[in-house]
Amino acid sequence: MKQNTAFVTIIILLLLCVIFALTTGQYHIRLETLWDVISCKITGRPLSHELAIPSMILWSVRMPRVLMAILTGAALAVGGVVFQGIMRNPLVSPSFLGITHGAVFGASLAIIFFSKTALSIESFAFSWAIAAVLLVYLIGNRGINTMTTLVIAGVIVSTFFQAAGSVLKYLADPYEELPAITFWMLGGLNNVLWINVIRAFVIISIGILVIYIFRSRLNLMALGDEEAMSMGINVKSSRIIFMLFGTLIVAAGSSSCGIIMFVDLIVAHISRMIIGPDHTRLIPFAAILGAAFLLITDTIVRIMPGGEIPISIFTSFLGAPLLGYLLIKQANQWKA
Amino acid sequence: MMQNNDILAVEDICFSYREKRILNDITFSVKAGEICGLLGPNGSGKTTLLKCINRILENESGSIRIKGRNIAGFSREDIARLMASVPQELNIVFAFTVMQIILMGGTSRFGFSGIPVKRDYSNAMEILEELCIEHLAERRYNELSGGEKQMVLIARALFQKTDILLLDEPISHLDFKRQHTIMELIKKITRDRGLTTLITLHDPNAAGRYCDRLIMLNRGCIVHQGLRDKVFHAESLEAIYDMRIKIEYTDRGTEYVLPDYIQ
Repeated sequence: MKQNTAFVTIIILLLLCVIFALTTGQYHIRLETLWDVISCKITGRPLSHELAIPSMILWSVRMPRVLMAILTGAALAVGGVVFQGIMRNPLVSPSFLGITHGAVFGASLAIIFFSKTALSIESFAFSWAIAAVLLVYLIGNRGINTMTTLVIAGVIVSTFFQAAGSVLKYLADPYEELPAITFWMLGGLNNVLWINVIRAFVIISIGILVIYIFRSRLNLMALGDEEAMSMGINVKSSRIIFMLFGTLIVAAGSSSCGIIMFVDLIVAHISRMIIGPDHTRLIPFAAILGAAFLLITDTIVRIMPGGEIPISIFTSFLGAPLLGYLLIKQANQWKA
Repeated sequence: MMQNNDILAVEDICFSYREKRILNDITFSVKAGEICGLLGPNGSGKTTLLKCINRILENESGSIRIKGRNIAGFSREDIARLMASVPQELNIVFAFTVMQIILMGGTSRFGFSGIPVKRDYSNAMEILEELCIEHLAERRYNELSGGEKQMVLIARALFQKTDILLLDEPISHLDFKRQHTIMELIKKITRDRGLTTLITLHDPNAAGRYCDRLIMLNRGCIVHQGLRDKVFHAESLEAIYDMRIKIEYTDRGTEYVLPDYIQ
């Protein structure tokens, strides 16, 4: 009952965030106008003269941005849940496994040495994120305590890609390439087009669906490898599935919006606290909360007085103290 | 050599970890309905043997047969339908409830989705009632005492609905009363449900009191094995623990094992 209330609350919260994001900005759109534009689009009625500008802003600028924020927020949060589950640690995130730094390295590589088109940057970021995770798996999947070796391998691969990314920044042209790399590293949804949304929608929805289908394995893996094995789970193949699809959705989100820090960690952690560890409820809950969280933060950075700031700055300022607070609260619970 | 009523037969099992031989030519069999105790000092290979039987560890040589079938090529799901395992201790990071933990035991029976249906909840509740721990169903597993956790893990193993139970030192962390409560429970469910139980124990008194058959290990080798009455004597215990041991009797004729230097 309590859990159902939590679900209804965050669904309402997400809807309110969507309405707020669509109507708020430099060009204010009233609720009635929003309704008129949407109903005209649905029914196929021709738009009146005064609805032409709001309609253009909504469909060309705000709608793709809002949908991208929803998709990326959901992807990051579910990615966080997946990696926390398979690592059995509520304080890890995809960036622990080198995904983030692999993606930054790939994007920087594309910006400096190849084409600067969105498609080129996205595909490079995506492929290097996958390469980073594969590397982590190859290094870490040895020894008896695979979970610990995987986390250590994640730290090794992250550090390596961080160093390689710094070399690329050093080599980058300071007037053209460096600002592009820096913007990508700080993240932002301001250049999102419908084509990005469609691409992200296909990959993220398939990825989350596959993860959700295998959710019972994630529950067992959260108990430990030997426990999962003795209850009938092939741990190696399951880990590959979760690492691959977890990376896929995170990389699909990051490849269009750049690096958005802390959303994966914070939302997954808060979702666990509210809804519990059972992935049947945790995965959809985290997806909705992640969508709402990223949408509201993106809307705030968009309407900031003095102009838009990169979203990662805001999520990090919000996320770091929140994580500190959660840690202190948890430590007090353990003491009690 | 496997006999008709043997449910589990282990033949010439060897296992090494980093070139160190942990198990050396282990051969024994267990008959259906028996409680078989694995007894031996720390590092004798009891837990490793249990993990080899459950195929969590891959043995280098030898075979494990369940009801006459070699399980070498079995999938993890097939093995989970044959035997359920109760670890010595399970510490989990996430706040799963007791009911969620127990339902996980049935994953191998739930089909591809691995998700329980309504009937599974009532079956799990029946098991909790049988073990008199139904009041724990919605409690968080992490908040339970050591004895309660052990009861929950046994309930999960029963929910797995297998013919064989593997228990790894289930009483080593428990107080005196809880040790006997858990051992009595293991004896009762083995008899009532017609199970076969393989249990590693540190306490020779518990082994002598509750087991039908004993496998005595030292340094990865079987030193003595057989029916409890044939192998449970001071000489066999001295051989596995490398110390002087005497067995005394209470007024009611119950045996108890003591180190020989205690007067």
